[in-house]
Amino acid sequence: MIVRRRPVFGLWISLALAAGCSDADLTGPLAYEEQPGMTREVDGKSHLADKPKIREKARAVLAKLYGPNPKEIHVPEGAPFSKDESGTVGGLLANHLRTAEGPKRLPHAGGFALYRRHCLHCHGLSGAGDGPTAPFVFPPPRDFRRGLYKFTSTPNGARPDRDDLRRTVRDGLHGTSMPAFEALLTKEEIEQVLDYVTFLSVRGETELALIEEGFIGDDEDPDALEDDVVADLTSAVFGKWEDAADKVVDPPVARTPSSPESVRRGRDLFLGRTKEKLECAGCHGVKGRGDGKSFVDPDVFNRVVFRGDPSKMAERVAQLDEPTQELWKQKLDEWGNPLRPANLTVPVYKGGRRPIDLYWRIAKGITGAQMPAHYPGIDHAQIWDIVNFVLALPYQPELLEEPGVAAEAEAVRR
Amino acid sequence: MRYWSLIFALAAAFSVGAFAYAPFSPDWWLPNTVAEPGHVVSKAGREIDALFIIILWLTGGVFVATQAALVWAQFRYADRLDAEGKPARPARYFHGSQRLEVIWTIIPAGILVFLALYQMSTWADVKFRSAAPRTPVLAELTGRQFQWMVKYPGPDGKVGTADDLFTVNDLHLVKDETALIHLKSSDVIHSFFLPQMRIKQDAVPGMTIPVWFDCDRAGRYELACAELCGWGHYKMRGDVVVHETRAEFEAWQAAKLAEQGRSQVGEPEGETSEGDRQ
Repeated sequence: MIVRRRPVFGLWISLALAAGCSDADLTGPLAYEEQPGMTREVDGKSHLADKPKIREKARAVLAKLYGPNPKEIHVPEGAPFSKDESGTVGGLLANHLRTAEGPKRLPHAGGFALYRRHCLHCHGLSGAGDGPTAPFVFPPPRDFRRGLYKFTSTPNGARPDRDDLRRTVRDGLHGTSMPAFEALLTKEEIEQVLDYVTFLSVRGETELALIEEGFIGDDEDPDALEDDVVADLTSAVFGKWEDAADKVVDPPVARTPSSPESVRRGRDLFLGRTKEKLECAGCHGVKGRGDGKSFVDPDVFNRVVFRGDPSKMAERVAQLDEPTQELWKQKLDEWGNPLRPANLTVPVYKGGRRPIDLYWRIAKGITGAQMPAHYPGIDHAQIWDIVNFVLALPYQPELLEEPGVAAEAEAVRR
Repeated sequence: MRYWSLIFALAAAFSVGAFAYAPFSPDWWLPNTVAEPGHVVSKAGREIDALFIIILWLTGGVFVATQAALVWAQFRYADRLDAEGKPARPARYFHGSQRLEVIWTIIPAGILVFLALYQMSTWADVKFRSAAPRTPVLAELTGRQFQWMVKYPGPDGKVGTADDLFTVNDLHLVKDETALIHLKSSDVIHSFFLPQMRIKQDAVPGMTIPVWFDCDRAGRYELACAELCGWGHYKMRGDVVVHETRAEFEAWQAAKLAEQGRSQVGEPEGETSEGDRQ
């Protein structure tokens, strides 16, 4: 670093730490927020609403495995965290290590501290995407607790590769409120944050697995959620994360160099003119503006999502007419948030603009959203044609403006 | 009681001492590089610093003179009591001195007029659109909550074409070449601030504002947002990398473009610029 950053007034800094950064002004102790199924009935999902004994067991298991509160982190055996400088798995999560001789200071800030400073205000203390600034951003921040992430290199529904999370933190998600942290955090700090995000994910997934397991159990059964069952559950959760690296989808065929022919082939695929009858235009619109007929009209969408108090969105939905309300309910993502198809006429790509990023979006769809996987419905070369078309469209709007193109697409869809 | 005046003298001496010490401490002085704390890296920066110093000398001189007068008056006219504990000299009231008031109005007014005229050429060089360099645009920089999006024209030299290079919070330029950027904002007012180059310009939604600057030392500098733009204002920090040569810049750009064009996982890594990060 050429730029010098050094505390000028040592005394002032230490006073600020004592006064400003303590937890004394918190309204209560730091506590993880439980997932709804723990205490409430959830329609169509497992829950422990009527199983108080199993619920208590599940809470005890979580506290034992991951620590009772965010300030005390336990690292379960086999958890998919990286090693710190001294080779301790999970050492990057915190700034102190509990040893037989007492607390040992670690030479880094730790994922928890960095997360609290940079991520918590959106993603929340438990990684539930419920931080104080969360209601004011759209798309809403990710809830990590299901282990599902939209922009990954792994198959639809699989856990992300660490590289995917790293790219997201480092470069941000263009077109969303997720900023790029490359200039704010060092590489080592980003690794600590990644570990903590993984920690919140596996903790949330374990919680869900316990709820599911408890849901089918008998509340009076003293053996419910016993140790070997829990061990199976956690190893299944960890296994998905460990497998992610091997599941990364690498296009077996290199990109077809972009040419007018390839772009035109991609356009024909997009408009459903080929025998594969793709329905891209149904969602992304015949002009690629993200205004396809299968989705809620963008004007209605914008009015509901952006015009007014974010906490009153449900009321605005209730004011829509019956068919639109029905469509609205169908067009939610896995987390229950409204979806809108990407506007392909502007060169903004949430998951990245590299051809490989677009290949992943098209070939394997977007986890949790309604973009479906297109491989093996179309082959690799066809995917590259669509990639070339999507990359060219913002700079050649005439691709979808030619006379007859839109009319033909209408005809195809009917 | 006249020694109370020394407290006031001490406060003034402390202030003057702080300014006398400042140029010798990189932390107290205007932001420069660690290697050369006394050297300003940009041409505009040197002019702006010269103005700063003139103003510092002028205000410093006035400060010393007024403080000296204050302390002397406190010392000289402190109340004195006679043997009976009564004021030895009764207070006298007078209407004021018109001549003094005119003098202490005209002198500062003259100084302000001088400064206003003297800085005009610097302001024009830094801000007037007519002074913008006739060079190709280095990049289009768009502020948004909460990051700086940078769009380089790429090999064809034109922004807004398919070969543009996109980066976030990462601005690269070449040493000793005037860099011209087009500044935009996509939501609220941000402010593009390069402390070491003494450049600060608001980014206003709906406007494209040309900003130009140069740097005569290669290295890594800081880009900040200097306009409170929302809760994530502090996140709007970027890296500014000044390359030693144009070839080095072009190699960086080519590597970044190769990464931006990546179509398979296994292709060779294109991130050569990572090496200089510490």
